[in-house]
Amino acid sequence: MTEDTSAASARTVFVVAVVAAVLVSAVLAPLAYDAAQSAQSEGTVSVVTVSGTITASTVDGVSEDLREARTNESIRAVVLKVDSGGGLVAPSERLYLEVLRTAEQMPVVASVQGVGASGAYYGMLPADEIYVLSSSEVGSVGVIGPGGTTPVPDSIIRTGPDKAQPTAEDRRRTIESLKRQFVGRVMEHRGEELSVSREEVAYAKTYLGPEAARNGYADGVGALPTAIDRAAELAGMETYDVVRKEPPFRGGFFLFAAENDNKTMIYKQGPGTTGPVPVTQPVLVDEIPNHNPELATHDPEVTRNVSA
Amino acid sequence: MSARELAAPAVAFVVLVAVIVGGAAAVPFVSGGEPTDVTNLADRQTDVDAVTVPEADSEGSITMDSDAAPKTVLIDRAHANQISDEKLSTLVNALVANGHEVEYVTQEQARGPAWNESLRSADALLIANPNQPYTPGQLAGVEAFADAGGRVVMLSDPASIQQFGIFGFGIQQQSNDDPALNSEFGISAQSGYLFNMHEYQQTFKSVYATPGNGPLSQGIDRVVVRDAAAVSTADGQTALRVGERTRLSTTRRADTYGIAVRSGPVAMVGDTDFLTPESAYVADNDVFVGNLADFLVSGEKTRNAPAPPSEGPGRDEPVPTRPPTEAV
Repeated sequence: MTEDTSAASARTVFVVAVVAAVLVSAVLAPLAYDAAQSAQSEGTVSVVTVSGTITASTVDGVSEDLREARTNESIRAVVLKVDSGGGLVAPSERLYLEVLRTAEQMPVVASVQGVGASGAYYGMLPADEIYVLSSSEVGSVGVIGPGGTTPVPDSIIRTGPDKAQPTAEDRRRTIESLKRQFVGRVMEHRGEELSVSREEVAYAKTYLGPEAARNGYADGVGALPTAIDRAAELAGMETYDVVRKEPPFRGGFFLFAAENDNKTMIYKQGPGTTGPVPVTQPVLVDEIPNHNPELATHDPEVTRNVSA
Repeated sequence: MSARELAAPAVAFVVLVAVIVGGAAAVPFVSGGEPTDVTNLADRQTDVDAVTVPEADSEGSITMDSDAAPKTVLIDRAHANQISDEKLSTLVNALVANGHEVEYVTQEQARGPAWNESLRSADALLIANPNQPYTPGQLAGVEAFADAGGRVVMLSDPASIQQFGIFGFGIQQQSNDDPALNSEFGISAQSGYLFNMHEYQQTFKSVYATPGNGPLSQGIDRVVVRDAAAVSTADGQTALRVGERTRLSTTRRADTYGIAVRSGPVAMVGDTDFLTPESAYVADNDVFVGNLADFLVSGEKTRNAPAPPSEGPGRDEPVPTRPPTEAV
């Protein structure tokens, strides 16, 4: 009786051990497989997507991806997959600084899909190399913004004459200063490659891929796989893994220009805004489509079609 | 199971958990963790001096040298003139402060013979950014006014130049509605604005101009115009010229374009922004505004010109019901 009990107990322990072993293996096997596979490769190339209007939230996402690339030891190179016509000034500068921080640690190669202009071009300046498609557009190194100010009604109390009412000269100085920062950084990072002068860069022209590859705005014509392979090569890897980082869509906005009281104003509209909101700050964008704001206020469906 | 039988697994459990969790907690202490070393890239990448745009020095005052007897300056408000009172204020203040009178012609006062009546009582005429064509009668009146020694100053920004119908300033067909007047004054303006990417004040369209010849350029070292058109004269004087490497937006050609010209009793400036209170004291703009005011009052117009129809047949043509040129 006692022998029977102990024999049954031993069997139970055996079964439990087997089940536990299977469970643990099920968890560890994929890790082991990954480890074995990455042992074959020399590292990982992280493909970080920069797309849409550059705003604080899109740069938040990209910054997170880049920070991960910098801290994850297996990631040895980064490819920026860019398709953006720019956006707001400060987020564009943040993108530039994040990419610069990354580029000081590992090779960064930019691959322009459709457009990589203005604020987006700003962001990819620190990349070791920039690849464009024949149909890509890059450049537009400049700033645009409202020149005048809306007069503050007498019924509003302010504490000083410049409160909420910059003069036309203030606006000009701000935009010129932002331009100098942008152009200065273009010359710093790409001055050696560029065949156009600082003055010509400041014309803010947008160049098509082949011309950009010739005048030094880009390093060559090539698609995303070329950029990935080049990034791996710069990192000294012959075999490598690729991870793709698509930042979550947090809802950006689009910009458009509209006539209002015979003055052209720039408006933005997005999920967070109920209607078109005037943009009073300078922006780094490639193009601002003309738009009838009345459509936006009455029919959001039409707005989307118009902006598309 | 007895309590004694449970004791061994319980101890084993506690020991295992303690070793694993404790070990995990101890690893960072042993490895020392990641050193936090953040370079201030934003500061390193910013050349504060290079990106600082200085404020424009704004000093001086608008004074007139002329000691001419009190004159009447007529300001055209009858042709949808796109100029604000704010812009005109600097010039008007200078004239009034020096004892001259300023009058405005409204659309009512420009109809038919009323236009010439308005001109008759004036010594000088200021036309800024007109956006309605002048009738042949009005053009003839202005010509007679200038012929009689009346001063005519025209200010024209680039955007409205194509709609400027008098003396053929514009390059479009509807502006050149009177070849006779056009050739007589010999003044023309090119379409597009001037810019300089090499030397400018604050923004590429704010270009510097230096003096040429004639009284309009007297005492000027350089002026700043914010959005100027290139103007030229066939046989008159070019009072102000933009610096080398200034280009015209439409042709992108660099030249020392004129922005202020004078042809006898007529002067034209391809900008109105220099008159704004904000820009009127920048560089030598104040001197230029003063020179312009002096020019306006420097004429000695024949009394009662342009002559009424009875005294000068043919001068005042009957005003047609529709302008002969295409309205814009």
